[in-house]
Amino acid sequence: MNDKKTSKPTNRREFIQKGMRATLGLSLAGLAGVAAFKASADDYVWQIDPFKCVSCGRCADYCVVTPSAVKCVHAYDLCGYCDLCGGYLKPDANALSTAAENQLCPTAAIKRKFVEDPYFEYEIIETLCIGCAKCVEGCSAFGNGSLHLQVRHDLCVNCNECSIARVCPADAFLRVPASSPYLIKGDFTTGNSTSNPT
Amino acid sequence: MKNRKYINHILAVMAIFIAGIIVRDFFVNRSGKNIDNPYAYDISEFAQVDPSEVIYKEVKALRLSVSEPKGIAFADGIIYVIADSSMIQLNESGQLIKQTHLEGSPTAIAVNEKVWLAFTNRVVQLDKDGNVISRWQDYGERAVITSLAVSDQYVYVADAGNRLVYQCRFDGELVRRVGEKDEQKGVPGFVVPSPYFDIALSDEGFLWAVDPGRHSLENFNADGAMRTSWTKSSVKTEGFSGCCNPAHMTILADNLFVTSEKGIVRVKIYDQHGEYVGVVASPDQFDEDSYAPDVCVDENNRVILLDFNRKQVRIFEPLNNEQ
Repeated sequence: MNDKKTSKPTNRREFIQKGMRATLGLSLAGLAGVAAFKASADDYVWQIDPFKCVSCGRCADYCVVTPSAVKCVHAYDLCGYCDLCGGYLKPDANALSTAAENQLCPTAAIKRKFVEDPYFEYEIIETLCIGCAKCVEGCSAFGNGSLHLQVRHDLCVNCNECSIARVCPADAFLRVPASSPYLIKGDFTTGNSTSNPT
Repeated sequence: MKNRKYINHILAVMAIFIAGIIVRDFFVNRSGKNIDNPYAYDISEFAQVDPSEVIYKEVKALRLSVSEPKGIAFADGIIYVIADSSMIQLNESGQLIKQTHLEGSPTAIAVNEKVWLAFTNRVVQLDKDGNVISRWQDYGERAVITSLAVSDQYVYVADAGNRLVYQCRFDGELVRRVGEKDEQKGVPGFVVPSPYFDIALSDEGFLWAVDPGRHSLENFNADGAMRTSWTKSSVKTEGFSGCCNPAHMTILADNLFVTSEKGIVRVKIYDQHGEYVGVVASPDQFDEDSYAPDVCVDENNRVILLDFNRKQVRIFEPLNNEQ
C-alpha cells in the first residue's frame, strides 16, 4: 500500500525554470514557423495585363521612377517581321527607312535590323524606352500586337500602391506572384508566364 | 475658454478643408478621368474621307445571333455565313433559311454548286443541305487556310501559314502551288505577316491573290506564272497602309476590286488596273478598334460586309446604281 507515489510539490524555482523553458521553446517554434512561412510564401509584384492595356501613355508619366519602370517588350513569336512596321514607322512616313523623321518612337528606342528581303527585326532599346506605348498602339492597330508594355522588375520599386495603377483607365495593372512576374503575349495566352521577357 | 472655442473652430475648418482636398484628389485623379495623352498615336486625320468619294450607301444591316463570325460568301441569292461551329444561310432580307452545325470551327468558305469550307489546315466539301461529301487531306501543322475560291474546274486554297495558294481539283488532288518564290516566273513570293491572305477569281477565271505585306494584288496565269500586279501603298484613302492590307478582297462585275482594310478600317473599290475608284464604307461607319470586315458581292453589284464586331451582315448598294 506504500507503493502509491506521493506527488512532490513543485517549488517556485522549478516552476519558473519550467515556465521559462516552455516560453523559450514556444517562441523558437513560432519564430521557425514564421520564417518557414515567409520563405515559402510568394510575394506579389505589379504587372500589366497586355490584353487590357489601352496604350493611354500614362505609364510614361505617372511612374515614381524616371524614366518609367514600364517598358515596351517584344513578343517575337507573334511578330510578322514586317518591312512596313506600324509600330516603328509613322503612318505617313515618306520612306521605309530608319530616318529619324520616319520613326514613330519619340525616343528612337526601337532598333530595326534587316533579316532577309523583305523582313526586318525590331528590338527595343530599354535604356531609351519611356513606356509611352506609342509603338504599342501602332503595332496593335496595323500589325499583330507583338509590341506590348510590361513592368520591368529590375527597375520597379514595387510601391505598395502603384502610382500608375491608380490612374490606369483600363484597370490593366495586376498583382502577380513574384515567382512569375511577367505576362508576355503568346506565353500568357496559353496560361504560362515567363521570368524573363527579353 | 474663449480662445479654446476659436481654436476648435479653426481646427474644424482645417479638418473640413483637408477632407475636401482628399476627396477632390480621390475623384479628380481616379482612373478613367480624362488625362491628355501627350504620346497619342493619332491617325484620325487619315481616317477622314471626303464625302464626295463615298459611292455606296448602307441599305440593310442583318443581325446575327452568333458569338464569333468567321467568314461570308454569296451564291444564287443566298448569303452564307460561317460562325462559331456552324454555317448559316440567309436570304437578302435576313430570313434564316438554314443553319448547319459543323464538325469544327471553319476559317473560310466558297460556294458554287457545292459548299467548300476550310478548317484551319484542311478542306471539306458539303452539299447545300450541309451534308459532308468529302474531306481532303490536311496541309500540315503549319497551314492556316484563310480563303477559298472556286472556279469551274478548280478550288484555290490560300494558306497564310505557308504563304502559298494551292490549286486543286474538286477531289482534292493538288495541281500546283501558286505564288512560291520563283524568279524564272517573275513570282516574288507572298509576304504574309499575319493571317490575312485573301484570294478571288476574275471574270475570266484568273486567280487574284492579295500580297498583304507589299500592299499588292497579284494576278496569276493558269500555269502559276505572274500575269500582272498592282500596288497601292499610302496611308491616304486611295492607298493601303500598315503591315498587312488589304485584309480581305473580292471582285465585282467588270473586274472591279472591293478591298477591306484593318487598322484604318475602310472598304474601297479599285478598277482592274488598281486605280482608286471610291469608298464603300468609311472608317466612321465602323466601331472603334474594329476588325476589317470580310467582303462578298451579289449579282446586283451590292457589297455585302460581315462586320465581326457588330456581328452583322451589312449590305451596301451603289449610290446611283451605275457602279
